[in-house]
Amino acid sequence: MSILTLSEYILLAALAIYALASVRIVTRKTIGMGLVGLAGLSIAVATILILINNLYQIAFCRDIALALVLLGPVGTIAFARVLRGNI
Amino acid sequence: MDDIFTIIKAVLLLTSAVLVLLAALGILRFKDDLERVLYARIHILGVADVACILALLVLGEPLLAGAYFILVPFAAHAIANGFYYGEDK
Repeated sequence: MSILTLSEYILLAALAIYALASVRIVTRKTIGMGLVGLAGLSIAVATILILINNLYQIAFCRDIALALVLLGPVGTIAFARVLRGNI
Repeated sequence: MDDIFTIIKAVLLLTSAVLVLLAALGILRFKDDLERVLYARIHILGVADVACILALLVLGEPLLAGAYFILVPFAAHAIANGFYYGEDK
């Protein structure tokens, strides 16, 4: 196993831990915390999908990651506008 | 023996793994009753975002990294703005 593959596996584990931490933040009571948690979760999942695409050559993972990376922030901005109120 | 570029890539991926783990630790350690803790968590979110952008660049996805690098400041500002006017004020 080359050092690059090993570091990809280590990054995969770190992102999984970060995703779990983000889910825990999502469950807090205020809407703002939900937004922060989901913003972190979407980039963690997108990066995990790119890693899986690299490690196991599953091509559709990259398409899902592209959708997540583009639509995640857009959805966060839209929901934050609703949170702001007086629209 | 791996060539120098593979080693540089591995070091950068390990660096982003460390940053992501620190962000996971940081995002959880703040207590909820701390005042305005959301702004601190948005800052920690930024650290994890930059680490993921670095990882995406190393993994050969410049389009994803560039798109996310442009979009994420707007999302972070929108969350802080929405929280300030919606729940904090």
